[in-house]
Amino acid sequence: MTQQRIRVLGGVLGIVAVAALAGWWGFTHVKSPADVAARTAAPTPSAILVPVEERVLSSNVVTRGTARFGLPQPVSIAPSMLKAQPGLITTLPAKNASLREGEVLLRASGRPVFLLEGRTPAYRDLMPGVSGDDVYQLQVALMRLGHFKGAPTGEFDAATGRAVTAWYRGAGFDAFGPTEEQQAQVRVMERELADAEKLRVSTAGAMAGADLGIESARATADHDERVAKSELAAANAERSRVVLDPRQPEAARSAAEAAVLKAEAGVKAARLSGELAVRNAVDAKKSAEIDARLASERADRQTADLKAARLRLGVQLPVDEIVFMPALPVRVQEVTAVVGDAARGPVLTVTDNQLSVDSAVPLESAPFVKVGMSVEISEPALGVNARGTVVRVADGPGTNGVDGYHFYFEVRVDRTSTPLQGYSLRLTIPIQSSKTAVIAVPISAVSLASDGTSRLQVQEGGKLEYVVVKPGLSADGFIEVTPIKGTLKRGQLVVVGYESAAPAGTP
Amino acid sequence: MRQSIQTIAGLAVLVLFAGPASAQSPPKTGTEEFGLSQRDLVQAIEKVEALIAKCMREQGFTYVPADYATVRSGMTADKSIPGMSDEEFVQKYGWGISTLYDGRPPQLGEGYNPARVGLGPRNVEMYRKLSPADQVAYNRALLGTNLSVTFAVALESEDFSGCGGCTRTAIAQVFKPEQMTATYYNPTDALVHQDPRLKEALRYYALEMRKAGFTLNSPDEAENHIRHRLASITEGGTLTLAAMSPEQRAALKELQTYELRAAKKNRELKVAVFDPLEAKIQRELFAREIK
Repeated sequence: MTQQRIRVLGGVLGIVAVAALAGWWGFTHVKSPADVAARTAAPTPSAILVPVEERVLSSNVVTRGTARFGLPQPVSIAPSMLKAQPGLITTLPAKNASLREGEVLLRASGRPVFLLEGRTPAYRDLMPGVSGDDVYQLQVALMRLGHFKGAPTGEFDAATGRAVTAWYRGAGFDAFGPTEEQQAQVRVMERELADAEKLRVSTAGAMAGADLGIESARATADHDERVAKSELAAANAERSRVVLDPRQPEAARSAAEAAVLKAEAGVKAARLSGELAVRNAVDAKKSAEIDARLASERADRQTADLKAARLRLGVQLPVDEIVFMPALPVRVQEVTAVVGDAARGPVLTVTDNQLSVDSAVPLESAPFVKVGMSVEISEPALGVNARGTVVRVADGPGTNGVDGYHFYFEVRVDRTSTPLQGYSLRLTIPIQSSKTAVIAVPISAVSLASDGTSRLQVQEGGKLEYVVVKPGLSADGFIEVTPIKGTLKRGQLVVVGYESAAPAGTP
Repeated sequence: MRQSIQTIAGLAVLVLFAGPASAQSPPKTGTEEFGLSQRDLVQAIEKVEALIAKCMREQGFTYVPADYATVRSGMTADKSIPGMSDEEFVQKYGWGISTLYDGRPPQLGEGYNPARVGLGPRNVEMYRKLSPADQVAYNRALLGTNLSVTFAVALESEDFSGCGGCTRTAIAQVFKPEQMTATYYNPTDALVHQDPRLKEALRYYALEMRKAGFTLNSPDEAENHIRHRLASITEGGTLTLAAMSPEQRAALKELQTYELRAAKKNRELKVAVFDPLEAKIQRELFAREIK
């Protein structure tokens, strides 16, 4: 009985084993058509919806640039004719120091070298009586510093001298006064003027004497002529008496005739002699007049020169004590001189205090960048935000150190308290903008219909409907759309794609 | 007797259900980094590189997306020097983390530099033409504060946690949030690591490392430990050797010695314990070894 049960059980086990094998084979190989269809069918796609937005669209050129202060300018000190030799530098500004108008740039042998704003460089000593553009810009600078009152004239006058004195005094220095040479020169000129005055007086006296000489000569000539004429008359009378007297011998007549001839010659000689004497006297007068005029002119000139020289004994401004820069303040970039050097020639290099950014754009973007365009300057990692303006765009590629595939351009940074110099900054230049908020959707939401129109799929009441739109400006992945048929409002949902289940493990 | 019958009946039921059960496939995971298939990895790399380029463009920089081959070459360049076996590399440079550190940006590095390889020659060339200020900003935009962790390097080490800048931004758009964490295990590794034998091996590893003077619990932890220590010494990898203080140089020297010793011991345990055990478990799980 037991054996039989075991056999039955064995049989059952065998059947179970066969069934298991069949089951395994069936699970792995037998698929129903529905299973196959379900496995191979594409998953039901679900629409990816995003809301319609209202936003300002702007198309930008984004590039990088490094901020710097203005281009380096050398600062040179011109030699002064007022000083026998240049002073020795005793103090110099520190690198990166910011220098404003009226500040002392450096000191040389105790004298200051001031910094002033002006386009004309300092090229000569300025002193009373001097005039020109340099004097004008000095007066304007002194006016900015509050020392010069009144209207600038371009002439170094007493008011200018007073302003210079006040300016120097305010900075703790004495204004530059007359030199010993100038004072000695004035003394020499005074002596020369005294001599000239003496000469003028003497020549005037000589001229008055010449008039008398003429009169004297005329009187003498007249007298001599009269005497000669009277002698002629006497000779004529004697000849008449002898001629009328028959008793007179021929010799007497001849003698009488000769006496007349002699008297006539005497008259002529007296007249000529008188004329010569008068002419000589007139010439002497003319000479005296010329001498007097020359002496007078010389004296006048000496007087004017002395006056000018005395004027120059006032406050002066040696050319080696001022430096004019076109724009201030400036920042010291490099100090080339050292303490102890003679204060002449280039001593340091400065840059203006205006921040600029050197940048470049690729060839294809270059036509969009124009002078005057507004630029957004930022560096997200540093939290920097500023604005600027394009002030220069190179005429061609490959200039200012950029390669041949880029155009250089310069951006002037608006005033900012953030120290940007030396940093790489992101420059965003809006080249096209919708200016106002417009209806915009992601670019992927717009599709092209078979009839060539652009359209969107909008969810309306749980269903998807097409809305024909007119596309506009595209920027930042969005596109401006204007519905041609139907309406489109902010917040409405549009289809940007369809989602299907990704296989496990796929990122 | 009754007992025998019950046993046989039980076996019958077991066999009945064994058929369908054995028909289920083994866990489906890819064999590449992060458990991806090769196709998925190629797609992921292309997506990430394109997103990096987009992000860099928004920052004002030009970045040429590296192709799969370039990124792959950057991955294979990790801990590898041509003509040197893995063992020789470990003997000479450990993991090559602190021992080959020079503090220069990857693009300016010479010789062994997997980060540079993974960026691609065009990006390296463009970087070298930038001004010093732009170079700093470029790497800050591309890599954040940790300059040695490029996409290729992070992918190779399966650790995106050290990535920064546009690289991290791009990776975050392609990979899942959990894959961005330092503790992420790819599905394949997770399966292998669930095996009790491997857990036992890890305990053995920790014990042996402690005996050798290292408080390291797993081979993965060892490299991260060195990287973090290096970052703290070098201010996030931004200090060049010349710019280091004497104290920092001394600390780096100490770390290099530590790395060499730890890497040698790690390799010893890896070769003796982990490699054969992992191969065995993988064969059991996937019917083949996964490289």
